Amino acid sequence: MMRRTALYEEHLALDGRMVDFAGWELPVLYSSIIEEHAATRTGAGLFDVSHMGEIIVNGPGAKSFLRRMIPTRVDKLAPSRSMYTCLCREDGGVVDDIFIFMISESEFYIVVNAATIEKDLKWVRAHASNDVEIVDVSAETSKIDLQGPASLDILTRVLADERAGRLERFEFFHAEHRAVRLMVSRTGYTGENGYELFVPNDAAVSLWRELLQAGEEYGIKPAGLGARDMLRLEAAYSLYGHELSDTITPVEAGLNWLVTSADDYIGRRVLVEQKEKGAPRTIICFELEGRGVPREHCPVLKDGVEIGMSTSGGFSPILKKGIGMALVKAGTLAVGDAFSLLIRDNPVPARAVKRPFYAFNG
Amino acid sequence: MSHIPDDLKYTKDSEWIRMDDEFTATCGITDHAQEMLTDIVFVELPEPGMEVAGGEQVAVVESVKAVSNVYSPVSGRISEVNRALEGSPELLNGDPYGEGWMFKIEMKAPRELDGLMDAAAYAAHIESES
Repeated sequence: MMRRTALYEEHLALDGRMVDFAGWELPVLYSSIIEEHAATRTGAGLFDVSHMGEIIVNGPGAKSFLRRMIPTRVDKLAPSRSMYTCLCREDGGVVDDIFIFMISESEFYIVVNAATIEKDLKWVRAHASNDVEIVDVSAETSKIDLQGPASLDILTRVLADERAGRLERFEFFHAEHRAVRLMVSRTGYTGENGYELFVPNDAAVSLWRELLQAGEEYGIKPAGLGARDMLRLEAAYSLYGHELSDTITPVEAGLNWLVTSADDYIGRRVLVEQKEKGAPRTIICFELEGRGVPREHCPVLKDGVEIGMSTSGGFSPILKKGIGMALVKAGTLAVGDAFSLLIRDNPVPARAVKRPFYAFNG
Repeated sequence: MSHIPDDLKYTKDSEWIRMDDEFTATCGITDHAQEMLTDIVFVELPEPGMEVAGGEQVAVVESVKAVSNVYSPVSGRISEVNRALEGSPELLNGDPYGEGWMFKIEMKAPRELDGLMDAAAYAAHIESES
């Protein structure tokens, strides 16, 4: 039995085309991925990402626990600030990539991928000391992402809270809205300015409807997983299971900037060595020069030799061509280098390009 | 409800075929197929002159979200392909039975058409799959 979010009936009413995503029944699109993508780049897109997990880490030992769990300096955080990082294994591989929201010195709210909730819980519980409490609030929490250049205008129409306009990127606050407490964070996964709204399940439908209504004059569209994937790919954001995994380290994924902690965290030895001396493999961005659409698992060939495999791919409506990311042997491809991508056994010309495809617009 | 013209024959994989004369037919994918795929961004066509068997894969259609193989409804020789689709694959979304035609085939055995579905049977087929 597939799981449904609190917004399931809304998706059906909006003609969402439902698919199985990590055991969740979610819309891959409503009308058209291209239209939903365009709405998010020019006005706003509204995404139901309630399948994602939320874990609270609470207690006097919470901060030192996190120092042990992540390769990023925990001091980067302050109350009301969030950051992107990952949970690493001893060998540097990634258990999951996560967002940490610092509520207070002793309380942290962690957002994790849907497919890895159980695995993450097991991992953090196995490493937590007695002065840390781990609470999984995934099942009662809905997450609605409002993304796009018009998102602040739309948000302030719904939420009469002047703090929204003052929010810096990666900051968040808790607000009261129609007697419900919600968390508003200026974060996202699209390359556009935007907000992520965390609400109790029973308030999700009314908030979703309010946002769609307030956004009407800005051209808001409900947007499915298909648009979300293309938006994040253009922004060259990693997707767990693709550019990051148990066997791909953050350094290999091009996320050196996450490896900054001076603490004794899990995976430190490998990650510091890779950061200083280079990792055996690296994620590159590429554009297809020939016709076609790259997908994941396409072999990458240079001078007839296989040097890696694509990890994500698709057709970029902004660039009007196939784009993707690939994990290749280090030192084999520099920006500008030509290579071949094997699509259904046909070599198609491609070129390594600068990351990202689409610069953050906000 | 997708559009299913009465004068065509259909395969279970949602290709259509229209007889142009006694031996030549035009083929494409149905309105239902393009609706399922949505935004089509890439079409790979067969080479004219290619001999194909009924049910053999002859083309590939890719939308933003998925890739789909296209099979020849009948056996024969590909006589012509719609090159306009290479530059404008969206024709398949906009006019799947007209400007979005994919290839013409000189049929080996026109009686193969008897094994294909008519509009009513195809409508029932896609209904049963939904």
